[in-house]
Amino acid sequence: MHIERIPLLWLLLQATLVVTWGFNAEMDTGPSAGAFAQSNSDRFKIEGRAIVSGIKPQDWVSSARVLVEGEEYVGFLRTDGSFAVNDIPPGSYVVEIISPTFRFEPVRVDITSKGKMRARLVNYIKTSEVIRQPYPLQVRASGPHSYFMKRETWGWTDFLMNPMVMMMILPLLIIVLLPKVVNTNDPEMRKEMEQSMNMLNPNPELPDVSELMTKLFSGSKGSSKTGGSSKGARPAVKRR
Amino acid sequence: SAAAMAKFILLFLKLLAILYTVQAVFEDQVGKFDWKQQYVGSVRFAHFDNQIQSSKKVLVATEKNVFAAINTRTGELFWRHVDKTGPEGNIDALLLQGQDAVMVVGDGRILRSWEVNVGGLNWEMVLDSGSFQSASLVGHQEHVKYVAVLKKAAISLHYLSNGHQKWIENLPESDSVDYQSVYSEGKGEVFVLGLVPHSHITVVVYSIDDGEILKQFTVEAPWMPDLQSSCSVIGKGMLTCVDAGSLSLNMLDLHAHSEMNQIPLQSIGLEVSSGFRPVLVSSQPNAARPPLSEFFLQIGPDQHVLLQLNKGQILTLRDFKPAMLVSFATTGEKTVAAVMSPKNKTVNPPFLCINLFSAETGRRLLDTTLIFTMDPNGGKPEKLYVQAFLKKDDSVGYRVIVQTEDHQLTFIQQPGRVLWTREEALSDVVTMEMVDLPLTATQAELEGEFGKKADGLMSMVLKRLSSQLILLQAWLSHLWKLFYDARQPRSQVKNEVTIENLSRDEFNLQKMMVMVTASGKLFGIDSKTGTIVWKHYLDNVPSNAAFKLMVQRTTAHFPHPPQCTLLIKDKDTGLATLHVFNPIYGKKSHVTPPLLPQPILQSMLLPLMDQDYAKVLLLVDDQYKVSAFPSTKNVLQQLQDVASSVFFFLIDANQGRLSGYRLRTDLSTELIWEVVIPAEVQKIVTVNGKKANEHVHSQGRVMGDRSVLYKYLNPNLLALVTESTDQHQERSFVGIILIDGVTGRIIHEAVQRKARGPVHIVHSENWVVYEYWSTKSRRVEFSVIELYEGMELYNSTVFSSLDRPHAPQVLQQSYIFPSAISAMDATLTEKGITSRHLLIGLPSGGILSLPKMFLDPRRPEIVSEQSREENLIPYAPELPIRTEWFINYNQSVLRVRGIHTAPSGLESTCLVVAYGLDIYQTRVYPSKQFDVLKDDYDYMLISSVLLALFFATMISKRLAEVKLLNRAWR
Repeated sequence: MHIERIPLLWLLLQATLVVTWGFNAEMDTGPSAGAFAQSNSDRFKIEGRAIVSGIKPQDWVSSARVLVEGEEYVGFLRTDGSFAVNDIPPGSYVVEIISPTFRFEPVRVDITSKGKMRARLVNYIKTSEVIRQPYPLQVRASGPHSYFMKRETWGWTDFLMNPMVMMMILPLLIIVLLPKVVNTNDPEMRKEMEQSMNMLNPNPELPDVSELMTKLFSGSKGSSKTGGSSKGARPAVKRR
Repeated sequence: SAAAMAKFILLFLKLLAILYTVQAVFEDQVGKFDWKQQYVGSVRFAHFDNQIQSSKKVLVATEKNVFAAINTRTGELFWRHVDKTGPEGNIDALLLQGQDAVMVVGDGRILRSWEVNVGGLNWEMVLDSGSFQSASLVGHQEHVKYVAVLKKAAISLHYLSNGHQKWIENLPESDSVDYQSVYSEGKGEVFVLGLVPHSHITVVVYSIDDGEILKQFTVEAPWMPDLQSSCSVIGKGMLTCVDAGSLSLNMLDLHAHSEMNQIPLQSIGLEVSSGFRPVLVSSQPNAARPPLSEFFLQIGPDQHVLLQLNKGQILTLRDFKPAMLVSFATTGEKTVAAVMSPKNKTVNPPFLCINLFSAETGRRLLDTTLIFTMDPNGGKPEKLYVQAFLKKDDSVGYRVIVQTEDHQLTFIQQPGRVLWTREEALSDVVTMEMVDLPLTATQAELEGEFGKKADGLMSMVLKRLSSQLILLQAWLSHLWKLFYDARQPRSQVKNEVTIENLSRDEFNLQKMMVMVTASGKLFGIDSKTGTIVWKHYLDNVPSNAAFKLMVQRTTAHFPHPPQCTLLIKDKDTGLATLHVFNPIYGKKSHVTPPLLPQPILQSMLLPLMDQDYAKVLLLVDDQYKVSAFPSTKNVLQQLQDVASSVFFFLIDANQGRLSGYRLRTDLSTELIWEVVIPAEVQKIVTVNGKKANEHVHSQGRVMGDRSVLYKYLNPNLLALVTESTDQHQERSFVGIILIDGVTGRIIHEAVQRKARGPVHIVHSENWVVYEYWSTKSRRVEFSVIELYEGMELYNSTVFSSLDRPHAPQVLQQSYIFPSAISAMDATLTEKGITSRHLLIGLPSGGILSLPKMFLDPRRPEIVSEQSREENLIPYAPELPIRTEWFINYNQSVLRVRGIHTAPSGLESTCLVVAYGLDIYQTRVYPSKQFDVLKDDYDYMLISSVLLALFFATMISKRLAEVKLLNRAWR
């Protein structure tokens, strides 16, 4: 199924990346080469500093940790925000600074069997892509974690943008504006509209919307506009 | 174009639907229905922070590799540092000097210094390899400036200020001499004491300045087996050892090297209990000065003597009998001895009392008695930590922490007030269950009405009326309580949870969490508040026990009490015991469980019930004989009837054998199938069945073309995970085998090459999700397998493993997960209608709620009309982790070992408990709360809108009337 296809895709990606890796002559050994050197018992340390701008390290270091490759190696932060994770064999590791309050981006650190260090951006998809990061690590918090969803609060804008309200307001606007656009004094058109109104409103017991509107508007405005209002009500009713 | 528009709108709605299924916590919900408890583990070292009188910190280092500061006022944690598990994070020593705490970690590999006020690291040093023996603060000219670390073959001295090494020296003849302790009294010398067992003691004296050997001598001690357990330095450099053979004290002046001076204990009037090995307790309050000349000698299980070394003579200051625990404590210049003794043994629970004595004279200090009771369901006191302080009138006051063998810490103040207790056993929860709470008496009364047979119309009506009256009364009293509480100030309203007021709520959201810990202590915790309702310590649990907790009878069978059974099995011998108890009250049941003389291989809970509604537990012993509990006649009869349809499987991980058995009517068994996985190539890691209480609501999935793809819902399916024995990153692999537990038929087999464990797996409905480490790409990957019967169902009424001719269709897809994983499980709801989420515990402390729709092998690579219709998310290789999906927001839960999910009475709601070092309980709504009003429901808005509409109607009616009238007049 799908699983068959993914490794193929991977091979392809990997193949293109090997080429780029070849050009990168600066590093003599790849991260995987480091992992092979199991006979070598040398251990190295990953150093760096975590910075939260505007906050004193004392206020957050006690709840933070440095995790290397999950919980395989654990380091702690000094009171100035710097850290060193000791006793790490050569290999390639994802280094994360974990704090419940602040968000830090993880960094991949490669250690060769000779103890050469290199830091690069973590890319789980193109695993051998190299975008260099400074080493010793300088990890800056990218802000506080956002754990919470915003509650939907009642605001006028939300209320007005509500589809139901829009459906009410738009026809109203049309009622008011349309008469000014369409020629309402055409008697034929008026007749046609009144007919359609009556068809839509067969129950004589109910108050006639068009008439109500007519009355409402004719009360303040001149009688010449009455027809226009009733005419304008037509699209509104249709929409309902 | 209208069609295009419609399509667009449809797509928009779909997007909305996707966005909406993602749940998150709202900020105002914090602490509303969730709680967290933080633990540190069983305490190995504890020091009170004594740098200032008013300090309220106690620093502890634990067996769980945790270093923490506990607030002595509340018992909460100020801060906590969790190192890696296993021997590499093991804390070997903790020394406190001023505001620095120095720790030796990982068998002497790392030396660390902490700033105890902030909880930050001062410095960390990697030491040379070599197994750790001892560490000690070293003072010089009244100031403590160094720390000495003694290893198997070398001793090093480090500056306390920055950890830098002042000097390191090899120990002479370290291959024959076993150097065990280091001692200094602030005079420019460091004494290293070594032993050739049953031969002689070696003393090497180093100069503090440059590590030069100043002196070196040996003393005959052919009787001595071990230095650390039998010797201690007393007074001005007098090495004092107790010889359990000849029952004598042996003293050696380290400054003037001479022979050991033997003082028989009888000569100073001391009688050692027969068979007891005497123990020395001494104290060196300041590393820059010699230790006290007073010391305790324990000469019996409950007898201690306070002795004094005076000009080479041993004086008995006071004999304490009975005395269970003793401890020295120093404040300022005063040193006191605290002695714990039983007050009155005949009373149950026994009273214990602690008294202070002057260390110099052995005289009892006035007004220092502290009396308290021990929990009768707890363990015996094990250690005593004393914090002494000077009161305003210069007398000594004190507080104590009592540590018991069930890992409980109790902080007690004079005259016996327990300020707090910490149940550190809960840092090691092994397994748990959530049990429904019982109904209250009134609720039970109401329920009972429906169960009984009708006895006439009139009496039924009367009964109904009376129960309604009871309900009304309960409601009124509830209202009155609300009103009464509202008038009281907030702080005075106590909502204490006791067994009496625990009852099931209307949506069954509150349950009893029964937790089993590795130490053998059982807890009953109220899931709503986190209050420990009951605890029970089983003191005969072997240290390597495996536990299995089963609910034999739920609370639904009133008046029969609910019943839980805990199977405790010794992993080495296979011998097992059963503990039967009531999960609501924690009391041991009066039902006597059967004795199990044979090792137990397998246990299972059958859906059969005896006449008292207890489910039948079957135990298979190593002779493949089956015994039942309860084993009444009724049960045996039922078993005979169903024996031919009872199947079970056994796993032998060492030989890679998985075998299936069938029960015979005489309770013997017959082997019906066997699968062998060659143990040389791969080993079985886990075998995972489905949860027994899982419900699947829909039999199939509706496809884009309106046809139905039926799920393969085999309740007997087992998911078997294997790992290759070859750990080389090119050749290692993880295998997964889906096997039918009844027939032994292998349904599917998948291998993940270049992968290794640890594998986490969730097996539910028709899918298996598992996670492994890809050695090639160095990342965590997820894979999902889904099984389908196809477009037609073979037998839609019942599933039988024996009659399923067609092999299911298997779909699989894999993804990248951008984090490691500590534990994983899936949400569970009452009827299985709600969509499923995976709950994933991350090492960072977050618990991610990942919608299962992200792990769907039908996710298309190319979006088509049909896939859109089906709501499938287009395939993306990487699974997202969003902090908004963390169900525990910033309440990090460290080292999650398991995630327990339980359905509630509401279909939308699933109860979640994550346990590990911490315990976190919350509720999740995978498809949002569709069956109850949301907690932010705006009652104000809806009522004001209703009111406004009402008035609008009134007004328009009036207007219409006016209009009609006007028309009539026209």
